[in-house]
Amino acid sequence: MDRFMTGRRATMLAGLAALALPRIGTAADDDMLYGPADPQARRGGRATIGSLVEPPALDPFRQAADARIRVSVLMYQGLFFEDDSGIARPLLATSAEAAPDGKSWTFRLRRGVKFHTGQTMTSADVKYSYDFMRDAKNGSPGAGDLSMVEAIEAPADDVVVFRLGRPNAALPMTLTNKYGAVVPKDFFADPNSGTRMNEISVGTGPFKLKQFRPNSVLVMERFADYWQPGLPHLDEVTFAVMPNSAAMAVALQSRRIDLAMFSRPQDTQALERVAGVEVKRWPSLNQKTVDLDCNYGPLKDVRVRQAIALALDKKAVMDASIAGYGKVIGTMVAGMQDAWGVPIADLPNQTVDLDRAKRLLAEAGHPDGFEIDLTTIIGYDWMDPAAVTIAEQIRRVGVRANIKRIELGVWIRNFRAREMGFTFNDWGTTPDPSLLFYRHFRAAPQGADFRNWNHARASELLDRGQEVSDPAQRKAIYVEFQKILADESPTIMMFSSDLLTVNTARLRNYTQHGTGWYFGLAKAWIAA
Amino acid sequence: MLALIAQRLAASVAAAALSALAVFLLVRAVPGDIVGQMLGQTGGDPTAELALRAFFGLDQPIHRQFLDWLGRTLTGDLGTSWYQGRAVTTMIWDAFRVTLELSALTLLISTLIGVPLGVWAGIRAGGPVDTAIQGFSMFGLSAPVFWIGLMLLVGAAAVFDWSPPFAYVGPEEDLPENLSIMILPVASLCLLQAAAYAQFVRGLMVNELRRDYIRTAQSKGLRPYAVYVVHALRNVLIPLSTFIGLILVQILGGVVVIESLFSLPGLGRLILSAIQGRDYPVVQGALLFVVLIAITINLVIDLLYGVFDPRLRT
Amino acid sequence: MILPGLGRLTPGLAFGLVILATLALMVAVPGWIAWQSPIAIDPSRALQAPSAAHWFGTDDVGRDVFARVVYGARVTLGLVAGSLLIAALIGGGLGLIAGSTGGIADLTLGRLADMVQTFPPIIAGVVLTGILGPGAGNLILALAVVYIPTFFRIARSGAVAEAARPYVEAGRAAGSSEPAILLRHILPNVLPLVVLQYVILFPLALQIEAALGFLGLGVAPPTPDWGAILEQGKNFILVAWWLSLWPGLFLLLSAISVTILGRVLKARWDDA
Repeated sequence: MDRFMTGRRATMLAGLAALALPRIGTAADDDMLYGPADPQARRGGRATIGSLVEPPALDPFRQAADARIRVSVLMYQGLFFEDDSGIARPLLATSAEAAPDGKSWTFRLRRGVKFHTGQTMTSADVKYSYDFMRDAKNGSPGAGDLSMVEAIEAPADDVVVFRLGRPNAALPMTLTNKYGAVVPKDFFADPNSGTRMNEISVGTGPFKLKQFRPNSVLVMERFADYWQPGLPHLDEVTFAVMPNSAAMAVALQSRRIDLAMFSRPQDTQALERVAGVEVKRWPSLNQKTVDLDCNYGPLKDVRVRQAIALALDKKAVMDASIAGYGKVIGTMVAGMQDAWGVPIADLPNQTVDLDRAKRLLAEAGHPDGFEIDLTTIIGYDWMDPAAVTIAEQIRRVGVRANIKRIELGVWIRNFRAREMGFTFNDWGTTPDPSLLFYRHFRAAPQGADFRNWNHARASELLDRGQEVSDPAQRKAIYVEFQKILADESPTIMMFSSDLLTVNTARLRNYTQHGTGWYFGLAKAWIAA
Repeated sequence: MLALIAQRLAASVAAAALSALAVFLLVRAVPGDIVGQMLGQTGGDPTAELALRAFFGLDQPIHRQFLDWLGRTLTGDLGTSWYQGRAVTTMIWDAFRVTLELSALTLLISTLIGVPLGVWAGIRAGGPVDTAIQGFSMFGLSAPVFWIGLMLLVGAAAVFDWSPPFAYVGPEEDLPENLSIMILPVASLCLLQAAAYAQFVRGLMVNELRRDYIRTAQSKGLRPYAVYVVHALRNVLIPLSTFIGLILVQILGGVVVIESLFSLPGLGRLILSAIQGRDYPVVQGALLFVVLIAITINLVIDLLYGVFDPRLRT
Repeated sequence: MILPGLGRLTPGLAFGLVILATLALMVAVPGWIAWQSPIAIDPSRALQAPSAAHWFGTDDVGRDVFARVVYGARVTLGLVAGSLLIAALIGGGLGLIAGSTGGIADLTLGRLADMVQTFPPIIAGVVLTGILGPGAGNLILALAVVYIPTFFRIARSGAVAEAARPYVEAGRAAGSSEPAILLRHILPNVLPLVVLQYVILFPLALQIEAALGFLGLGVAPPTPDWGAILEQGKNFILVAWWLSLWPGLFLLLSAISVTILGRVLKARWDDA
């Protein structure tokens, strides 16, 4: 753990010092893609991974579900890799260069990259793939992130140029693996090609799809023509859907599975004493928040939102919901705090102050408090204990919360319709502040502004944060933004929970990426 | 008799038609749709949302959507899954095979356990054996199935250091592996069903053994008691056969939670996950299928009653 | 010993009555039995094994499980009792009317009942709570809908049988109004059937309620409900078995005691 953290911090500082432009890695650090290499690694073997969630479908262009991203990143690749230190490392690209005005980016592509279909990747495929993704009519959740792209050109077989309407310093980090990927040109000509991706994979990733049986298993096999020499080590990876974390723990104990990710430390407690399995903790890029719809009842008044923030003891909530296995945060996910965050002490509304909270409520016309529904999502185990704790905390200032649990599909509907009310949320990010904040807090139509915040200065800052490329300037912009965010509290970011993995001793060199996705399997191996 | 069949058949068709409409409307009454799930916490520009909605035909007026679906359903085409792209009929069949195996094993084992227990209790009515068996069936009928399943899972892990392999394989691929997956779910379901059997058969046996001809013959010492037990048993088998139908319907209902608890890719899981994902063609198709099975079984039971009970033939 | 309405006191019946009485106490005055709060949290004593201070241990936010189970009786049993009551009133009422009047109303209601009954109860519960949203009120509604047809059928067949009896015919001939006949003659004879059905369905409905709670569709926290405690406990079952054992046991005991009562009632009324 400690070694891991120090190592990461060191890389990050080096990155900051060396680059005046956005921090982009070079092809020289290919070795750092997907985590550290293990010189002892041997080829062969099968690993079974237990998972509580299952991708609804495998189309990387049109499924926003985190369960899809977790696994599809092993089969599909973008131009860059979202190293969790915050650096976009070249993946299918080898270099990136921005024009002085920031309005065009030139990417050189890796040569000799093969698709799972056998074809060789060229710039035409790259242009096709990103053109498909950015056309909103194709229904990709990633389209919004590319709205500033006006044209993509392919002047040579190994060069693509993105022309932008306005500069975007986060472009390389946007062209990573969350949404979309590079697929063979014209793949989507058939309208059913999206669902065909449940039968075959057409990406360039280290593994290709062998079989996807919904409600049961997903099997991937080693892609023999993968472009990184010697990778992947595993011959086959099977993802098995598990009913609950107790069943996963039992399966690990009896060696039915080699790896599983857990959301709460209580789940792994029983495994800590078991010989032959290893419990590991990793810092994450997720955040657990309470969102406050700025158009909803009493929450319309900023003083009410501030009062709620002032009544919240984030540490106590974190202790109750994940037994303290995480980091309390201010306005930035823990994994990006050093690079982009503001020290919590410098942010408003971060320490409990019941008197001020009561005063604010009284000023807002609620001297006796009020009643409000607090929404949790069924299946998100951390939310219920957190909700119970928060309800007790805000009752001290007179806000009486009725906990309401809703099903995920209903919750998404409300969220997208900007009718979220007062709700818990659990979201992760690609490690760039623009990708973290823009779509959530930029006023419509550029952003989605789910919380109906509609804040002019914040929107202006978010636009500038995209346009400016100098890291120091960018940081200053996001510091100002975060102070506004903390002051106005359209969301209360509470904590980032550590990722917990448990693996059998025979599965070696698995590193857990901060996003919670299974990148690490590309370099994991099985000891005989 | 023909009139009865015709009447029952008509009632069944009416119920099926009503159910089809209900299924269609109910699944759309659950807030949220597939488009929201595909786009998640992204958006702002409504283009993507509108495009996807049009792609799935969700922009059509609801009566059009219903008539389209109904028309295709009547020709046996249930459409394709919006997520998987596979034919709904294939998905139902794949899932149903799992549920069928689960149900069949449960039915078989619970019959083998429950019927002898019921007969035994019936013969010894009032005695300690009867009390013990009645106690068992009371327990089996009252314990929540998922709770039993949970306890079995933990028990197996604690006592035998064993857990079922969760990655499902069909019996035709690898029978031993398949059976080791099935053992705990079947065991959890069997407790309830065996209890129901024991209870039912005991009642029949007691009634049958109370009948005058058996009492008289027995008191006269004409033949060994066992002969009458066999005779009584024969009379028990007829109502028992209809009871199996009821049990089957009950098992089909009970597998939903068990399939979730043991992550078996059966019909219950298929329906639950399709509801969660708002995969309308799958929910509609699978629910309609379940409803049709229930209707068919009920119809068969009704008709069997007609065959066995002459009073109903008029 | 002979009990009014129940007959001879067998050991089984005694067992059932003792449990029923205990459950009734838990429902009526939970505070007399459990002195700790079922909702006050204390993360510092999370997931403690049963002890003198916490008889049934504590849950993941440090609440006393004994108190939660005791207070949960009112929620769980109340939900089931309430939903069955609604189902009995609506289903029984409609069945009574359909059975004694017949005609198109009878036919329509019959088909509707057929339709509802073809859905497996859990699936119906999942769909209905999906539409209505989870929560105590909606759970009651969903369960009620599931069981209305059963009451409808029982009451209808009872009413049909009664309506054919000579004294009803005689009453009609003597000029009694239809509502009067319904209330004076048919209802008193159908009521026991409905009551018995209520008792028989109770354990089944209890299982469905618990299963829905287990699937996460039950009441919202912090309200204690047995199914919901089981759902919460399933993830901790390896480290905290007590979270799963006790609520399950109480579900079991409740169902057993009501089943015993049902059998005794049925035996009595069948003889009568």
